Amino acid sequence: MSSAAPAALFTADRGATLSPHSYPDVSYEEKLRLWDEVKADIRFPTYLYGCYECGICVAACPSARFYDFSPRKIAQAAGREDVELIFEQMNDDVWNCSQCFSCNRCPRENSPGGLITILREVAVNNGLASSKEALEGYSRIVYKIMTTGTQVSPDMLQADAFPDWGPGVVDVSDNLDLWRRALPPETLHTTSMSWHVGKETLTELYLIWHYSGVMDMIAEIDEGLHMIIIDVMEETLEDAGYDIEL
Amino acid sequence: MSFIPIDALRTKPLPRPEDAPTRDVHEILDELEAAGELIIHRVPEPYVEVMTKYGRTKKIPEQMTWHHKSCGQCGHIPGYSTAIFWLNRAFGFDYDDPTDQTSCTAWNYYASATSNAPAQAGVAMRNFAAAYETGYFPIIHCGTSYGHYKEVREELIHHDDLRAKVRDIMAKLGKPLVMPEEIVHYSEWVHAMRDRIAERQVLDFSDITATVHPACHYYKLVQEDAIYDPDLYGGERTATVSALVQALGATVGDYSTFFDCCGFGFRHILVERDFTRSFATQRKIEVMKEEANPDVVLTHDTGCVTTLDKSQFAAQAHDKNVGIPVMSDAQFAALAMGAHPYRVCQLHWHTTDYTPLLEKMGIDWKAAWAEFEEDIGRLERKEIEFLSWEDVGV
Amino acid sequence: MSDRVLIIGGGPAGLEAARLTAQLGAPVTVIEKNDALGGMPISQSYAALTHGFQSAEELTNHLIEGATGQSGVEVRLGSQVAAIGGSAGAFNVTVGSDDSETQLEAGAVIVATGFTHFDPGRETQQYGYYEFPDVIGINDAEKMLKDHAFVTPSTGKPPERVAFIQCVGSRDRQIGNEYCSKVCCGISSKQAIEVRQQIPESRVFIFYIDMRMYGYWENEIYWPAQEQHRVNYVKGIVTEILSKNGRLLIRGEDTTMGRPMEVPMDVVVLAVGMEPSQGTRRMAEVLGLPTNKYGFIETVHDTLDTVSTTVPGIYVCGAATGPADLDDTISSAGAAAGKAVAFLRASVGVPA
Repeated sequence: MSSAAPAALFTADRGATLSPHSYPDVSYEEKLRLWDEVKADIRFPTYLYGCYECGICVAACPSARFYDFSPRKIAQAAGREDVELIFEQMNDDVWNCSQCFSCNRCPRENSPGGLITILREVAVNNGLASSKEALEGYSRIVYKIMTTGTQVSPDMLQADAFPDWGPGVVDVSDNLDLWRRALPPETLHTTSMSWHVGKETLTELYLIWHYSGVMDMIAEIDEGLHMIIIDVMEETLEDAGYDIEL
Repeated sequence: MSFIPIDALRTKPLPRPEDAPTRDVHEILDELEAAGELIIHRVPEPYVEVMTKYGRTKKIPEQMTWHHKSCGQCGHIPGYSTAIFWLNRAFGFDYDDPTDQTSCTAWNYYASATSNAPAQAGVAMRNFAAAYETGYFPIIHCGTSYGHYKEVREELIHHDDLRAKVRDIMAKLGKPLVMPEEIVHYSEWVHAMRDRIAERQVLDFSDITATVHPACHYYKLVQEDAIYDPDLYGGERTATVSALVQALGATVGDYSTFFDCCGFGFRHILVERDFTRSFATQRKIEVMKEEANPDVVLTHDTGCVTTLDKSQFAAQAHDKNVGIPVMSDAQFAALAMGAHPYRVCQLHWHTTDYTPLLEKMGIDWKAAWAEFEEDIGRLERKEIEFLSWEDVGV
Repeated sequence: MSDRVLIIGGGPAGLEAARLTAQLGAPVTVIEKNDALGGMPISQSYAALTHGFQSAEELTNHLIEGATGQSGVEVRLGSQVAAIGGSAGAFNVTVGSDDSETQLEAGAVIVATGFTHFDPGRETQQYGYYEFPDVIGINDAEKMLKDHAFVTPSTGKPPERVAFIQCVGSRDRQIGNEYCSKVCCGISSKQAIEVRQQIPESRVFIFYIDMRMYGYWENEIYWPAQEQHRVNYVKGIVTEILSKNGRLLIRGEDTTMGRPMEVPMDVVVLAVGMEPSQGTRRMAEVLGLPTNKYGFIETVHDTLDTVSTTVPGIYVCGAATGPADLDDTISSAGAAAGKAVAFLRASVGVPA
């Protein structure tokens, strides 16, 4: 983040797109509204300068080798403010990104991975069907991280969850309780969390989720999940003496 | 016919901080503290100074560290965390292993984007404030956390409104806004300690070849803040982990996809695993095996250890050229110092066969496993409730 | 008062400025820090110049003879300007050489301290210049081409596959050199042609972001490179160079085809850009001349006056002000000489 942000990009009009309209059911105004939301993010100015199509980002990108995915095209579409193409990418492409930030090698200091982080957030915030699809099967993880403050607990190591990790997973899940007790660090003596997180700590975590508006995002992708998490949070906050409407 | 005098051309000049394209973050933090915007949690003495990419120095505390743990490590490969603590205890260092710590939550953020900048910064700042309250200095166990916290630091120092909002959230929790003087990754501590670790080495690693996988989030995010050494790789690749291998007398095997990501993908390894498996196998493990044929793959991040270790099993079914054990630099260093492969390094949680490596290191793993099974027996019979640090001699 | 013009730097810019200044009648002293005149083309053993493929050594010798053959030109080798006092028309300059220092009077000063090549060790892409002997700069390549011995440094044999990577150290916000170094597209294309000529079985590639072939470079160099010499131009900059099976492996995107590419090469030539030389940086400080953020010396007005600095009586020419090719350098040296002499006539009254 070295040089000053560039002058404001021109306001896009329908004629700025060079792309065919691949999602004709969604209005241009709606696509433009989503793009404006992306640009309003505080991080946006330092994630996008200009692109001279050097291809360094694609060369370094692991997803580009496996998927029909190009961080260069993400930066180009954003630089052109091609609202049609950006909306297409927000639905079809952004979930391919590995978020490794190899693309931060960009000599213009763009961050295509960073742009994608914002694009995904906007997609989730606005309940795009493609984001719900991408996060299918992921809700148990969201539940775990939001309610316990750790993302993957030992009791998630089940053979049916990670069949491709080999027979070792079966050994682990069969012996889980004993093997966790056979760990010298005291904080690791748990199977439902990665380590013991204190109750007060969880209270503080829930307050952070609440005050930063994250619960609204969860409600957009999965209402059922949202309800379960709110229940857990409300109980803990009540116990801690907080009278907050979640 | 004349030749270019390679030696004369190739003495690399030391990087000069004046050439760095960004301002020194320490300067900016000092300015913010002077303006009353935040409190800097200073690195306690004694500390070691290491060099970063543009020749600036970074302080690495020796002890009085607050261990910011990693969910993937503690959850799935707990020998990694145990080895880090064991190293500290073997040196008799004072440290804190807190329960007042949440995950950085970056894995979730990069996977699902079900969070936002204020929340992520809030989580980071809450953890740093918790450390500050104990007086112990935060040391980060996970590469993802480390990279993410460097990003958060950038965002907070450059965006006044975000900083104000986060300070506000902290105030509601009754906490000050605290930024550590340095964001330190545990592998930087291992790097700073490598010669002292080598002094206490009891195994001979001269026959061991290790390939090193540097974690993307360690050195690709906020690139100026990562360890580089002019004497290693000509100062052009991060020295972390590779320097340790050399200090322990082992050989660093080079391979042509050194800078490639491991393929973790955050979301992919959980719900779209064919990408992670394919990438890790084809772009990393197979290349390492073909070009360097190492005894072990070493890395310094939770996601990387998990990805590279777990992806090999399914690949075997497809006759892929795989089968290299994977572990962290901490576990490798601990083994070098004589740590128990099961009680400390907890290698039974790893997937790819590590027994040939242990044999090559001169470790009688069968005897070690028998000892560990005895421990399990005692736990089963409730003779002891947990395995303790006393039981492992530190 | 003095009618002498002090010229700092004995490379092409300084030599042409000296020659014309003396021809216009003013006495000249050239201060050169090295032990020989000629600047970069001589000290770096340049082979052929981009314009017309003329021998750099022959052309530079011609410039040297032009300057030293002119009466009224004094040359001090192994010398540097240590300090300056006084003002336009009556400068008092301290010149250091070995252990001694002398004083010199001058009416006007022309700074011609030139450039240095970007050090690839500061590159933020992973080129391994200090790791791999077969990764070289265009400056290293010139030496080999001059000797007609363009080889793979690690084997000593002529290479089969050679890649040029453009814009190394230029056009880059991460490094902090956002500008274009102007000459490298031409130089790389010229070198590519030379390699193809010297090693007919070789395959030569140039990986670029843009090909900047201004004016007659387009038809004199770019088209012949592609059409006659079969140089392969690929749009997509290489980001990594590693070693595989004893050869270099380069990694980039073939943007035309829209996919990542990684291919083996024997030699990779980095088209390193221009940065202000140590001499330029030092003289800017000693003479109190403003520089731009890259350290090049600033002139009063970009378009209408390319040689006057903000200090009256002090002029600058050549690559000390920014990336410049030899044509630019000769032109600006002439402009500096003309302005310096015109100034002396108006203020000091001589030369008549």
